[in-house]
Amino acid sequence: MPPKPRKPPPRRPDARKRNLLIAAGAAAAVVAALVVVSIVVAGGDDSGTTTTTNGGSAALFDGITQEGAELGSQSAPVTMIQFEDLQCPICRAYQEDGFPGIVDEYVRPGKVKLRFAGLAFLGQDSEKALRYALAAGKQGKLWPYVADLYANQGDENSGWVTDDLLERLAGENGLDWSRLKTDAASAEVTQEIDATSAEAARRQVPGTPTFFVQIGDGEPYVVQPSSLSIDAFRPILDDALDG
Amino acid sequence: MTDRALRAGLAVVAVAGIAVAGYLTYVHYQPDALICTSSGGCETVQESDYAELAGIPVALLGLIAWVAVLALVVWDSELARTLVAAIALGAAGFAIYLIVLQAFVIDAWCIWCLVNDLVIVPLLAVTTVWRAWSLREVD
Repeated sequence: MPPKPRKPPPRRPDARKRNLLIAAGAAAAVVAALVVVSIVVAGGDDSGTTTTTNGGSAALFDGITQEGAELGSQSAPVTMIQFEDLQCPICRAYQEDGFPGIVDEYVRPGKVKLRFAGLAFLGQDSEKALRYALAAGKQGKLWPYVADLYANQGDENSGWVTDDLLERLAGENGLDWSRLKTDAASAEVTQEIDATSAEAARRQVPGTPTFFVQIGDGEPYVVQPSSLSIDAFRPILDDALDG
Repeated sequence: MTDRALRAGLAVVAVAGIAVAGYLTYVHYQPDALICTSSGGCETVQESDYAELAGIPVALLGLIAWVAVLALVVWDSELARTLVAAIALGAAGFAIYLIVLQAFVIDAWCIWCLVNDLVIVPLLAVTTVWRAWSLREVD
């Protein structure tokens, strides 16, 4: 009769505890490595967000009619309304991603007109930036000024909308700085902000960016692109143009 | 409390973690699904340089960890229990780092990230009891 195989002796609790300690040590080492990589990769920029300072976005809008908060031909059959907050990083992502293509493919040929519907619900920097953006609209330069504000967007309510930044961007866009300051503080701009805020409430805008499309004088309807790229906006705008 | 109940509890915690980390991973790749609202700074945190580690979204790392926890709970061996304990400890440590980042570096709070951190607390608690239970069994 062959010998019965021996059952291995049960592992001692001490060995289990030792294994647990080893696992805990390994976990601590992994976490330390992750933290080091995170700090090394991202820590170079102490703001935590990418901030660029290139001013002068005027080239994108060259030759396109700008009237107040609207960009494009007044006879364009379709209007896209863009509810934005100048402190919103997703709005900035849209500005860098899909927006230039929309301007080139739809606004420049006169198919679509854009309307900037600025909100200021993220805080004091939102309102200051919005006031100056709307004031730039009084000089026919809201859109490049908005583009430059996005390009210089800082951390939420960190005080990034400084007078120095506003004045520099005004200079780069050929704006009259003293007039800009006066208009930004005007009751007219306050009324515009209040009107847009009321429109957002009426249209139940949940946040920014939110897009509405209006065909002719029809009732605007909300659209939800699958991404912020031009590829996602093409079918929406083409459908609207087809009526 | 039975060992079976503890395992079931861990599985529930892991599923909750998968749901939250899965949502955060989804919005990382589909930023349009995340709009800026007045209620929080998720978008700021998700857009920050700290949202990725060497190109890998932190949310995806979290999702992988939660899936691993669930798989290990189902597997349920001596090694699996040890690994769950290690993941729980590691997750808690990294969550503390992420909370410090949100508070002092990014200056914005991502509610969903905090919910994910919150789910780690029961993970750690149940894992500790579970591990202590299995150590007691052999004492």
